[in-house]
Amino acid sequence: MRLLVVEDESLLRQQLKSGLERAGYVVDDAADGVIGLYQATEYEYDAAIIDLGLPKLDGISVIRQLREAGKRFPVLILTARGDWQDKVAGLDAGADDYVVKPFRLEEIQARLNALLRRAAGFASPTITCGPVQLDTSAKRVSVHGANVELTAYEYKTLEYLMLHPDQVISKAELTEHLYAQDYDRDSNVLEVFVRRLRQKLDPEQTLQPIETVRGQGYRMRAPD
Amino acid sequence: MVTARLGGYSLQSRLLVAVTVLLTVFLGLTGAVLDRAFRNSLETGVAEQLQVQIYVLLAAVDEADGNFYFSENLREPRFSQLNSNLYGFISSASEGELLRTSSALDIDYETLGLNHDLAIGETRFGRLRTKAGTEFFVTSYAVTWENRLSPILFSVLESTDTIEAEASNFRNSLWSWLGGLAVLLLILQILLLRWGLAPLRRLARDLKKIESGQSETLDPSYPRELSAVTQNLNLLIQSERKQQSRYRTTLADLAHSLKTPLAVIQGELGSHTSDINQASLVQEQLDRMNQIISYQLQRAVSTGDTGTLARQVNVASVVAKVARTLEKVYADKAVVIKRDIDTELNFLGDERDLLEMLGNLMDNACKYGRGMVAVSASLASTMPPRMSLRVEDNGTGISVPDRERVLQRGVRLDTLAQGQGIGLAVVVDIATSYGASVSVTDSPMGGASIILEFDNIRIAD
Repeated sequence: MRLLVVEDESLLRQQLKSGLERAGYVVDDAADGVIGLYQATEYEYDAAIIDLGLPKLDGISVIRQLREAGKRFPVLILTARGDWQDKVAGLDAGADDYVVKPFRLEEIQARLNALLRRAAGFASPTITCGPVQLDTSAKRVSVHGANVELTAYEYKTLEYLMLHPDQVISKAELTEHLYAQDYDRDSNVLEVFVRRLRQKLDPEQTLQPIETVRGQGYRMRAPD
Repeated sequence: MVTARLGGYSLQSRLLVAVTVLLTVFLGLTGAVLDRAFRNSLETGVAEQLQVQIYVLLAAVDEADGNFYFSENLREPRFSQLNSNLYGFISSASEGELLRTSSALDIDYETLGLNHDLAIGETRFGRLRTKAGTEFFVTSYAVTWENRLSPILFSVLESTDTIEAEASNFRNSLWSWLGGLAVLLLILQILLLRWGLAPLRRLARDLKKIESGQSETLDPSYPRELSAVTQNLNLLIQSERKQQSRYRTTLADLAHSLKTPLAVIQGELGSHTSDINQASLVQEQLDRMNQIISYQLQRAVSTGDTGTLARQVNVASVVAKVARTLEKVYADKAVVIKRDIDTELNFLGDERDLLEMLGNLMDNACKYGRGMVAVSASLASTMPPRMSLRVEDNGTGISVPDRERVLQRGVRLDTLAQGQGIGLAVVVDIATSYGASVSVTDSPMGGASIILEFDNIRIAD
């Protein structure tokens, strides 16, 4: 999952970035509204966290403009004042949720999870794809009710695929949304992760939940 | 109605009363003076006529053997007609009546009581009321007559009836003219007043427009006398708005500059959890600081501004805004917010304050309820307008002992229980600054029902 964090206070921005990276997100950051808006419109993100009090271009304008540019990814606003005028204005401009400063990282993660899941069209925190169940809040995966232990990267890969069921996800897209920018795109790490995932989810090779679409990418098969 | 205070009368009615009094006094005095002058001139005319008649009598009277008689026909025919209103008498103090004209045959001399104490050669004009009640103008002239000792009095009398009738005719027509003039002047005066006071009425209308948010400032095209006032009012309105927005900007800056470092500390705390005890202590203090700052900042939003220049905010539209926001935020909970707001209700005050109160109340209802929230606003009474605003949910409600506590104003934040929000305390503070009352009851939906009652309400036209 690739996130954009737009926050002018550098310490807070760094904390958010490193905290979210530890939680397995790929995080880009911007220190002001103009750069933030540029990044939000130029790159593909899964979600953005935008502070309302930004220099150069305020948060509400950033949100309004990126919505006008056709960007549909969920936006979480950070507000220092926390008054309702700000919250209402932010959500009216196109944001999806708010967090009042100061906040705990866990709170941001919980809100982000819910937003990402909702954006993918899932109402409950548990996503089911045939026998495979993924609990986005507990970050747990089970197959036919039995827990499956996954590494953080394996989990992220599966989560992204399951949030986009029946869609062909190219390796480039997966790489972009799962790994930091400077990652070597030519490596075969992705293939390794997908192979390991298939082994863990389906050791008997009877379910085959992840399809390979030759020359295009992977597809999570939704049950018929 | 109760007696109106002196300041309560309108300018128009003050001026009208003043002008009416002035007109009454002026026209009344004019009438009295004219009436008096006319009567005087009438009486002077009568006196002159009677003087002439004295000479007529003198010329025609003669005496023989102590008896007076008319030696020739009197040149005034009215002396010869019975009861012609013109009568002549010749008399002396000692002998009484000596001769009368034939017009006076019906008149009883004794009842006349003619005054005989005139000096020789003196003429006197005056009024005379007989014992029978008839009133006459009388001119008397005293002369010495040849061998007689006492002076002889020649008197001519004329009844006052004709003169009185003439005077009263004049008086009637005079007063009807003056009355007509007064009515005409009053109508003119009302028209002039309306024209003259029109700018003031326009000012009132313009102020109303500012109040309802239809315009920002007063029109500069007022008459010279008012423009000083309107310009100053404009400056006042502008400076008040500037002041308010400056105040809010300062608060926003303050919030940003206080809360961002708090967020940094919070973040650091999250990543260094080596000493659990220490971390929880710092966390506790951090939470307290945050609560205090949030509470004071949100409370400071409130201006409690219900002055005449307060803007009015449509309650239904503010509720709709908050509901839209909360439906997004609580999408996972699939909260249903039922709204039943009288669309004619307007809140006189700052939109931020109403947003803050509704936001906190409805947020609590979404948070603590089980997915059902109802917001309703209606007129509790029309004179004076009073709005009852109710936010209900289907949660577990607020227990009776807790109600008193959550409604306390300016509750000390360090006494708040863990996890208890500052939302309701902020609502109570803002509502109280508008003079509203806040109460908590059970909702028929099962949860809590918070009721605010406001007086600063205007019903839309």
